[in-house]
Amino acid sequence: MAAARADTLQPVELADGVEIQLRVAGPAVRSMAYTIDLLVRLGIYLVVWIAAIFLVLPGLGMELTAGLMLLFMFFMEWFYNVIFEAGARGATPGQRSMKLRVMSMTGGPVTLAQAVMRNFLRVVDFMPALYLTGIICMLFTKRFQRLGDLVANTVVTYADPPPAPVAVTEIRAERRAPAQVLTREEQAALLQFIERAPLWADERRIELAAVAEPLTQAPGVEGLRRLCGMALWLQEPEEKRGTPPPLKGAPLFRS
Amino acid sequence: MTPAQFEKHIEPRWQKLEKLLTDVEYGKPREDVEELPATFRQVCHDLSVAQHRMSPQRLTQQLNALAIRGYRVLERHSSGGWEGFVRLFIVEFPQAVRKEWRLFWWFTALFYLPAVLIALITPSHPEWAMALLGPDGMAQVESMYGESSKPSDYVRESFGSGFAAFCFYIWNNVDIDFKTFAGGIVGGVGSLFALLFNALFLGAVFGYVHYSGNPMTLYTWVIAHGAPELTGLVISAMAGMRVGWSVLRPGRLERRAALVLAGRKALPLLVGAAVLTSIAAVLEAFWSPLNLPPVMKFTAGGLCWVVLAVFLIFSGRGQADAA
Repeated sequence: MAAARADTLQPVELADGVEIQLRVAGPAVRSMAYTIDLLVRLGIYLVVWIAAIFLVLPGLGMELTAGLMLLFMFFMEWFYNVIFEAGARGATPGQRSMKLRVMSMTGGPVTLAQAVMRNFLRVVDFMPALYLTGIICMLFTKRFQRLGDLVANTVVTYADPPPAPVAVTEIRAERRAPAQVLTREEQAALLQFIERAPLWADERRIELAAVAEPLTQAPGVEGLRRLCGMALWLQEPEEKRGTPPPLKGAPLFRS
Repeated sequence: MTPAQFEKHIEPRWQKLEKLLTDVEYGKPREDVEELPATFRQVCHDLSVAQHRMSPQRLTQQLNALAIRGYRVLERHSSGGWEGFVRLFIVEFPQAVRKEWRLFWWFTALFYLPAVLIALITPSHPEWAMALLGPDGMAQVESMYGESSKPSDYVRESFGSGFAAFCFYIWNNVDIDFKTFAGGIVGGVGSLFALLFNALFLGAVFGYVHYSGNPMTLYTWVIAHGAPELTGLVISAMAGMRVGWSVLRPGRLERRAALVLAGRKALPLLVGAAVLTSIAAVLEAFWSPLNLPPVMKFTAGGLCWVVLAVFLIFSGRGQADAA
């Protein structure tokens, strides 16, 4: 499927033998999630600092408060991401707001060990500044993995499936069987065409239908009408015929 | 079966799975939760069929999302909690160190030899140590281990209490451990650099105290917490090198696979190093400042080294290999 190469879907085989598609997230959206996390962290620091100054400082004194703050900073710097990513949702607040999720490359949730690995290596991914190493690494791996992801065997994916296109117009075309036998890929192309055609302008539909002229044997609007008819036939062959659509045969598209 | 019929045929299955998953995700599974695995497999099967028949993307995407959701629920790992953590430290960590014994001795040598070397040459050539320590470092060493000063006074002055000092040591030393490990992924260079830098600095401190201070205060101060702290640093550098080495020489594995495997092997080392350094922080904050006679300090300090060696050599033996 040529379509699979143009998008960011990555096939993964689950332990159950079924293949799923992961929609991996790129550097841009991850940077935004990181920025939100940064702001969240700053907010937490601010709140805790103020709380420490007004609540802890009078009781425990300067040195102890400073010590506690150092301890708190240590945990925030190293474990903020780890705790959220190893949690039930598998995402930090920033990632959640961007509808992202960290997943193991096996398709399962991230383990604590993986979360530790991928986040402790942030130090190196950050080098020399602003995650330059990580971003370059992401651009050179097909799953957008930074060094930490590579070692931990994790990917950052979109949590939800993309919004499905909704057909706005009803297609009125007469159902007709294709003149040739179509391969599985060709059938899929026709089915996807009919699924998406309502979302396009007329010119675009005709333009695309013209590609299939060897099959439809008609130019322009007539070609489009015939193509839609064949797609409808694939979706729902007439009841009486009962024959399944043929599976293999001559290619439809000019190469 | 036409695509529309197929869609209608499988709909009750994925709707059932969706309901079961929602129940589990909200933590309120009902009796029918036992059907979850079977329903999940069935929907996985439907997904395969849908993919093969090139069903509409809307359908495959929906099934795909459900399969991921179901897999997340079914494959949820339990990290083992505190019990798992204790096992990681007591069993898997010493096992990992023993398994990597070559690396351990290499790094021990790489750490202590330069340190001893620079400490030895400092009394006759103090300029090396002085350059390494810098004016601030020298002033600090003087104020801690000088002729008339005690490290405990210096620590009390800078931190106030043992607990504050403990917090500082965690923040500073465990942080160094983690960074030393992370630097290892660049072919081990970062770990080696951190190890050598710390070795030279440590050697410079020892040499400089011999040159212009009171070595006795230094030795009584560091003998106990030095054992876990220095070993922790060496082991965290080891963990980094473990990962870096897999980049340099993946062996018969693909580099990517070697990296993942090395990461798994490095984790017990990293956790162990962090725990050792945390123990060192406790000792340094609460034991080392005590003003006890040197004999007691050396006995206790020696005991620390012996306990650590026994722990690393014998702990977790006979337990099933954590692989």
